[in-house]
Amino acid sequence: MNTIRIIRMDTVQSPAHSRVMMQSEATDLSARNRPQRAVRAGRLIAVRSLLCVFAIQAAGPVRADDKAASLGPTIAMQGSSRDRPACAACHGVDGAGQPDVGIPRLAGLHASYIADQLGYFASGKRRNPIMAPYAEALTPDQRRAVADYFAGLPIPSHVDAVPAPPAQLERGRALFQRGDAQTKLIACTQCHGPNGVGVGSFTPRLAGQSGPYISDQLHRWRDGDPRDPRGSYMQAIAARLSPEDIEAVATYAASLDPKPGRSQRSADR
Amino acid sequence: MTIRTSVPVAFASLVALGSLTDWTAHLPAAHAAEANDKAAFVPPPESAIPQGKFGDEVRLGEKIFREPGMHAAAYVGNDLRCSNCHLDAGRLAGSAPMWGAYVSYPAYRSKNGHVNSFEERLQGCFRFSMNGKAPPLGDPVLVALESYSFFLAKGLPIDEAPPGRGFPALPKPDTKPDYNRGAQVYADHCAACHGGDGLGQSADGKIVFPPLWGPRSYNWGAGMGSIKNAAEFIHANMPLGMGGSLTPQQAWDVATYVDSQVRPQDPRFTGNVAETRAKFHDNPNSMYGQTIDGAVLGDPAVTPPAGTVPEAAASEPGK
Repeated sequence: MNTIRIIRMDTVQSPAHSRVMMQSEATDLSARNRPQRAVRAGRLIAVRSLLCVFAIQAAGPVRADDKAASLGPTIAMQGSSRDRPACAACHGVDGAGQPDVGIPRLAGLHASYIADQLGYFASGKRRNPIMAPYAEALTPDQRRAVADYFAGLPIPSHVDAVPAPPAQLERGRALFQRGDAQTKLIACTQCHGPNGVGVGSFTPRLAGQSGPYISDQLHRWRDGDPRDPRGSYMQAIAARLSPEDIEAVATYAASLDPKPGRSQRSADR
Repeated sequence: MTIRTSVPVAFASLVALGSLTDWTAHLPAAHAAEANDKAAFVPPPESAIPQGKFGDEVRLGEKIFREPGMHAAAYVGNDLRCSNCHLDAGRLAGSAPMWGAYVSYPAYRSKNGHVNSFEERLQGCFRFSMNGKAPPLGDPVLVALESYSFFLAKGLPIDEAPPGRGFPALPKPDTKPDYNRGAQVYADHCAACHGGDGLGQSADGKIVFPPLWGPRSYNWGAGMGSIKNAAEFIHANMPLGMGGSLTPQQAWDVATYVDSQVRPQDPRFTGNVAETRAKFHDNPNSMYGQTIDGAVLGDPAVTPPAGTVPEAAASEPGK
């Protein structure tokens, strides 16, 4: 049974599918070498899917008494139904995502943030043709369970495969850490916390997140798509960024060590 | 000559207008203050800070400004930073920039009834906004902050009220500011960051979204405790990065809501709330001494103390 499902999954995760995925959250392909990335995406996903086969088979059957507690991991590793492959197929068994091709890391994001986004995918508030059917297939409880699961995974250690040009990183650092007084751009850290560790369920961790993913989101906001119900905040910010600045700030954020930093209320201190 | 230049100029204006329209279309509301800020002074960049002893003071001043709880701990009694209200580390026009303040002192202040030096004005920030202790005149903390402000004001004429100083004036509200409407504005536009309870949020042990009320926010004597000041600041600058998106009425309402909450005692407290109101808060912009939900604001029974700096830091001033 598992094998059949996994074959389906591999069929689905073709390079063409990956390209749709990349396009689904971006409008400007020409500016950012997307076709090449998409091809790489296909190869990477094929490898990951193979790993996934072992992981899922190793997990074995789920005992009935563990079912409630294992709802999140089950959806993450096996999918919610025959038609819906596992989250892990794209986002990784470890929740690391596939940074090179813009599939975001989920491990260590705030559970409420993930659950909210799944809700927005399901309702269509966050338009994404790839994620929508997955999110729609889940009940709110299932979304919460799978969100809890990924939020609870340890943040994978940082892999900085391709070093970015120093000038681009420096520009990114300046925008990320200080903002730009000329354009009234606030620093990313003013809402996403010191070094972009994220604050509560509202502002997600940016440190070590996929650079192409961050870039795609910023382009969507810049192009006028609110993306989610609170997207007006990021629209106002992205409107102040040039395409070059978007690349710089995304590259810099991706280069930051996503070391654990627990978000908390000041009242708890 | 006139004809030759006017065509490209006119064309450039059209292009500029087109791109401006395109740009503002992304924003929830184009704000009049943003247009006015065109004339605002631009302080020198970080890279212009000179080497040497004076540059060191400027750099220290900016560090204190961004992290007063770390670099001026003996004088800070809450979780706020100077840069929480003076945005962009005191550079941003319309957010009480330090360059605007620097060229405006010495000045007479009705708040204390005499002419204040710039240093004395800084002392007031520590005593009220930071709910701490005023550093003594000449203290290294004040010297550093004054150096930073002086550096930011490079090239500005003194005592000329440069555009962008203070907060932009806000039209009077159409209807009387209302606490309950303000609560709704707060829930819709402020609570995601500052928390429904107004206590702010932190990450990695650092405050990211400042507390707006409660024991770790500004005390009753602070400038932001004036509904008018808060409304002007909020309208021009909040939500962060979206200044001008609230209507003036919303800004007045939410400022009324925020400034009707419990916060640390006014350090000038005489021992009697009514007397303290009569002496220091006898105006419609202060809720001190007023009754909200059956409780008197400023009542010592429910009001956190003023000026509670950390004990360890207090014993080592200047650290």
